[in-house]
Amino acid sequence: MQDLHWISASEASRAFAAKRLSPVDLVKALLERITRLDPQYNVFIKLDAEAAVAAAAVAEAEIAAGRIRGPLHGVPVGIKDIIDVAGLKTTCHSQVLIDNLAASDAVGVAKLRQAGAVIMGKLSTHEFAIGGPSFDLPFPPARNPWNRDHHPGGSSSGSGSGLGAGFFPLALGTDTGGSIRNPASACGIVGLKPTYGLVSRRGVFPLAFTLDHLGPMTRTVADNALLLDCIAGHDPGDPGSIAAPRGHYAAQLARGVRGLRIGFVRHFHEADLVADPAVAAALEAVAKTLAAEGAEIRTVTLPTLTEFAAVNRIILNSEAWSIHAPWLRSRPGEYGKLGRQRLMAGAFLQAADYVSAQRRRAQMIAEVNAALRDVDVLMCASSMDPASRIDDAETTSRTYPRQARTPFNVTGHPAIAMMAGLSAQGLPLSVQFAGRYLDEAGVLRVARAWERAAGTDRMHPTL
Amino acid sequence: MDKELLAALAKIAGLEKALAEFPEDVAAAASSAGLHRGVMHAPEDPAAEPWPPMRPAAGA
Repeated sequence: MQDLHWISASEASRAFAAKRLSPVDLVKALLERITRLDPQYNVFIKLDAEAAVAAAAVAEAEIAAGRIRGPLHGVPVGIKDIIDVAGLKTTCHSQVLIDNLAASDAVGVAKLRQAGAVIMGKLSTHEFAIGGPSFDLPFPPARNPWNRDHHPGGSSSGSGSGLGAGFFPLALGTDTGGSIRNPASACGIVGLKPTYGLVSRRGVFPLAFTLDHLGPMTRTVADNALLLDCIAGHDPGDPGSIAAPRGHYAAQLARGVRGLRIGFVRHFHEADLVADPAVAAALEAVAKTLAAEGAEIRTVTLPTLTEFAAVNRIILNSEAWSIHAPWLRSRPGEYGKLGRQRLMAGAFLQAADYVSAQRRRAQMIAEVNAALRDVDVLMCASSMDPASRIDDAETTSRTYPRQARTPFNVTGHPAIAMMAGLSAQGLPLSVQFAGRYLDEAGVLRVARAWERAAGTDRMHPTL
Repeated sequence: MDKELLAALAKIAGLEKALAEFPEDVAAAASSAGLHRGVMHAPEDPAAEPWPPMRPAAGA
């Protein structure tokens, strides 16, 4: 059997069923690796080793007795620390909530437990899922598994770093302005922001109510579909939840892209925010490969990234200010510098700015929907640059906003980011695919075609 | 932004404590808000309606 730390959830599930591997052995192997390596990568805020071994033992007994709950039974998963896990603190990586004990599981976590998954612990984020890598918070920032001198993206930084480092095969992240897809891009893993409302946000500390998404982060596209299968579904307790039937997200993975029309949004990285040449070359290589696989590549035009970002930030800042105003007024010193700056911005916006942004948002939704009537899936850049050095605050501050992820938070369409290759310095480059509302299966289908052709699921860093 | 104007806006927002302890952060927040506002094109049609924020997948 391959190194256990690179095993996918799909492979682990098959190995458990065939009794070639036990959940306890897998969890113990991962805990050994985490204990040895995490002091260099800061993935975990709270490693819950004892509970993980206990849950793995229960899974092992159930599987041995033939009571297999499903494909995630006994599979380890990490949880971003803005998502509630009963009995553990949800600190949001902030002094403000340093003693915030969760009384119950978030809906997504409860679904994972029901499926028999093994919760490994709580993972690093940016403070309240906004800002960037910071050194003035109660916990250190996560590091990039491909080169620990570089940032891992964020805000689901521990989720991305831990997957890339081989600490667990599955993780939950959240995405309000790109926070699942940024670490997916920086760490060379697979991160999907589902359609707005497909996955319940109940039990997740909010950043911006109308932009927040919970989603799956994995090392392979097939695992991403499995994890989405588990966590998707209507929740009457989440006012944003869609009353729509769940898809079968792995159903189209093997179909390839022959006959699909893929709209390449070139102006995002060629004109709006000119990408690093390595990123541009990687995107062209993806387009060429998908064309060779039988897809038709068309050029598509959408509103500019600058305007998408402005609409995203006005809505995000306004909604976040309504959440954080009482704390920012009374104890601003408990925030880190970046979080404080970003979360106070909403104090200087007017109600009319927020409504105008929502009105412009409606037009942008119509424009993306119109584009998706002519093509099946959109393809574009995710990050315009490889990850910068984590100690270079100026470059990180300049390059973090150079991204094409916010459009799909604004519109709510499903979007996936994944590796498109490696830079000359050995850092992951990325590509993004977006689709029609509730067509996660179509997005995953294209992602799998690229993964299979390029072998990105077999590319791992050396730690 | 002018210092007096910044102080007045911060006071209206209840951020006197933050302004006293972290004046550069308050200034950065105000500057950031202004930048985003300046980039967005408000709809020209006065009847253009906002997306009802809690109606998922509107316009699908």
